[in-house]
Amino acid sequence: MKRMFGRAAALSLGLGLLPSAVFAQNTSPQEYMDLARSIFAELIEINTTDSERGNNTVAARMLAGRLLDAGFPAEDVHVLVPDDAPTKGNLVARFRGRDTGLEPILLLAHIDVVEALPEDWSADLDPFEFLERDGYYYGRGVTDDKDEAAIYTANFIRMRQEGFVPDRDIIMALTADEEGGSRNGVVYLLEEHRDLIDAAYALNEGGGGMERNGRKISNNVQAAEKKFLSYFFTGTNPGGHSSLPVKKNAIYDLSRALLAVQEYDFPIMLHEVTEEFFGRSADLVGGEVGDAMRRIVANPADTEAGRILSAADPGYNSRLRTTCVATLLEGGHAQNALPQMARSNVNCRIFPTHDPDEVLAQLQALAAPFDVEVEPRGEATPSPPSPLTDEVLGPIERITEQMWPGVQVIPVMSTGATDGLFLRREGIPVYGVSGLFGDMDDVRAHGQDERISIQNFYEGQEFLYRLVKALSGGGIA
Amino acid sequence: MRGSFFVVAVLALSAGSVSAQAAPPQEYMDLARSIFAELIEINTVNSEVGNNTTAARAMERRLLEAGFPREDVHVLIPSDAPTKGNLVARYRGNDTGLDPILLLAHIDVVEALPGDWSSDLNPFEFLEREGFYYGRGVTDDKDEAAIHVANFIRWRQEGFVPNRDIIIALTADEEGGPRNGVRYLLAEHRDLIDAAFAFNEGGGGMEKDGRKISNNVQLSEKKFYSFRFEATNPGGHSSLPVRKNAIYDLSAALLAVADYDMPVMLNDVTNAFFSQTAEIIGGEMGDALKRVLANPADMEAVEFASQEPAYNARLRTTCVATLLDGGHAGNALPQTATATVNCRVLPDHLASDVARRLEALAAPHDVTVGWNGRERDSPASALDPDIMGAIEMITEQMWPGVRVVPVMLTGATDGSALRSAGIPTYGVSGLFGDMDDVRAHGQDERIRIEHFYEGQEFLYRLVKALSGGGIA
Repeated sequence: MKRMFGRAAALSLGLGLLPSAVFAQNTSPQEYMDLARSIFAELIEINTTDSERGNNTVAARMLAGRLLDAGFPAEDVHVLVPDDAPTKGNLVARFRGRDTGLEPILLLAHIDVVEALPEDWSADLDPFEFLERDGYYYGRGVTDDKDEAAIYTANFIRMRQEGFVPDRDIIMALTADEEGGSRNGVVYLLEEHRDLIDAAYALNEGGGGMERNGRKISNNVQAAEKKFLSYFFTGTNPGGHSSLPVKKNAIYDLSRALLAVQEYDFPIMLHEVTEEFFGRSADLVGGEVGDAMRRIVANPADTEAGRILSAADPGYNSRLRTTCVATLLEGGHAQNALPQMARSNVNCRIFPTHDPDEVLAQLQALAAPFDVEVEPRGEATPSPPSPLTDEVLGPIERITEQMWPGVQVIPVMSTGATDGLFLRREGIPVYGVSGLFGDMDDVRAHGQDERISIQNFYEGQEFLYRLVKALSGGGIA
Repeated sequence: MRGSFFVVAVLALSAGSVSAQAAPPQEYMDLARSIFAELIEINTVNSEVGNNTTAARAMERRLLEAGFPREDVHVLIPSDAPTKGNLVARYRGNDTGLDPILLLAHIDVVEALPGDWSSDLNPFEFLEREGFYYGRGVTDDKDEAAIHVANFIRWRQEGFVPNRDIIIALTADEEGGPRNGVRYLLAEHRDLIDAAFAFNEGGGGMEKDGRKISNNVQLSEKKFYSFRFEATNPGGHSSLPVRKNAIYDLSAALLAVADYDMPVMLNDVTNAFFSQTAEIIGGEMGDALKRVLANPADMEAVEFASQEPAYNARLRTTCVATLLDGGHAGNALPQTATATVNCRVLPDHLASDVARRLEALAAPHDVTVGWNGRERDSPASALDPDIMGAIEMITEQMWPGVRVVPVMLTGATDGSALRSAGIPTYGVSGLFGDMDDVRAHGQDERIRIEHFYEGQEFLYRLVKALSGGGIA
């Protein structure tokens, strides 16, 4: 594997060097690429799903070991494990800077991953085996979010070995249960160890570069995110013997309600960050879709423009409105009995300014004609947008121009929920920025055969190295 | 409990002389109730908590305590399934050269989740309320099991000597578990259950709006097939939903099944059933049934008759979604969604034709249909004049004016295994139930107390009549 990797890297670097000098500037020195790959591979192969087999603490301890081996003092490296959840450990590490009165920067990544069943993946792939093939790394978590965790760890070690002294502390927090388990690491750290992670602001997942047809379109900075709330749709029925079927059936009722959800589009909404997003994207995208972006910013009631954007890309659709989709299904109790209950989990991503009560009322209106009950599973966490300051956006724009000339920096609202939510709610602004590019037409996070372009992984490593250094007094080379 | 039971029983007895004739002596009603309650409270679902052997042993103990000899009472347990025991007991008769009568009932039950039942009921607690007994299995099929055991004890105490042996077989896994008792007994202990004919569940009395309509005798049954509907999708992050979705595809395919009616197909047994039923019920529905018999393509009549689930299920093959499963995480787009579609296929309808029709419904939604690919026969039992005659006489005696109607069962019973093995099987019990309130396999399963004891008496008289005891 190691040898094969070396060959592939040399090939891609070689190809890059021929047409221009850009690629050579865009990756870290070979030893730190090797280091990042080694950490990345080890992290992918530790199962951190929220299940019997998964263990976040094992992953946190492995990364702590890497830092301690690299010479970080023990008092600055903590594996913090909730008493009631021994497998949900988190790593918090501090890179000490000079005391200039500046508050620390927090680098946040989660190291838990969404469940992945080997039989759902292609037969020659195992989600928990790190595999390199045809210019990609494969494995559960290679894009969400073990790539950033491995990069932060490698960059901490690089900055230390290079003798870099920042003008403020840099904190890394690699956490558990971002993907929905019961012991969210950021919530736990905010409650129990706030002093260890308090910061002026945080960098997190949620942004990243957008690529289309192999062309880099934009480097996105997530400054807002949608709210996350799931609802149970439940159909009930007295049931009976399946040899005497009747028209009224809990499974059919539920099916009708779910198809009503499929057909329904929530109203178009806009706020500052999405206005910036569509406004800055319009020229890049061009054509009919670019026009539609300009039209929707000018007039959110332009439903024809909305239709064009929604049809063009699920990402545009999800940034225009609240979305809801059925994700889980269960029903019935025996193959020879009419179902007494059928239930679906409908997962909604609620626009930051959209009242969850309105979403509930709308879903109930869709389901009620079929006698299906809708109930929210908990409450949506409010998600105030982070301010778009020059202090943060300036270096991002300059380093982006340096590495990928002509690529625009675009503020975005994330459609998925990240742990940024909990930090924003506590008054710590969060910027989702990584310089990690991905194909916007082939998003595999949470899905099958998750992969990341090898070239993009190492460019992200270098981007984050330069950005964190720039934000902590190291300047821009 | 016992006090309130007496009140109900006394009320029933004083209500009319028909009921008095139709009930067993008090001591045997008490006996049947005690056995029934014990049986209901032994969980015999096909699960970790269910144990059929425990129930078989309880029935064994009842028979041994009543004086049946050890060598005639067997609990037979498959070596690979210790919780799937079956009881086989023999009541010895004179040797007149007649082959035995087999009384078959299954003592396993369909799963019942307490959370699905009304909050004041527990499926595994025998409860009497307002003229009903409640509990999982009170209509399917522990009622018959309890009655067969109580009647064995009654004949013995009364000194009855039949002119042939009478055999009880109380079996496991009729409801779909892996170790079906009848198949096991046929394969491993055929000598213990061989018989001239068998009585089984599958028939019973039909009541509508409190009026007894018919005493049904089941002579044939539909075939049981389950089909697996499956939708797949690459999935993805649920924050970026797309229209194409495995759960929606599956939903659309299931609704196509919901809206589809299989073709009407009649056979000898259903012809007899519908013509008798048309006479009994009369009115608009009776007319509709007659029109369907005259012309199965009369869609208006078919549609009207199909409103009644019991008629619909006898006019055609039916298919219905019973189980659902899909998705792998609450925040991920589903990669697979599956449903079990359970079909009850008419005896002369090829399962492969049903599969083709289901595939045509599912394919437009990119849903696949899987099944075991095996065609099966479901032969009918002959209308034997001795047996049908005894059933008709006792029915007239107990419920004057109620007709005996031959039927095809819509559900599947172990009778099909016996019929296929050459033992004619008659589904007959004299146990009446409301045809508009069938709770077998569903929630709050119940049986009317009066019906339970009338069924006990009916089966007592019928088996006695067919084993040389005559009709009183």
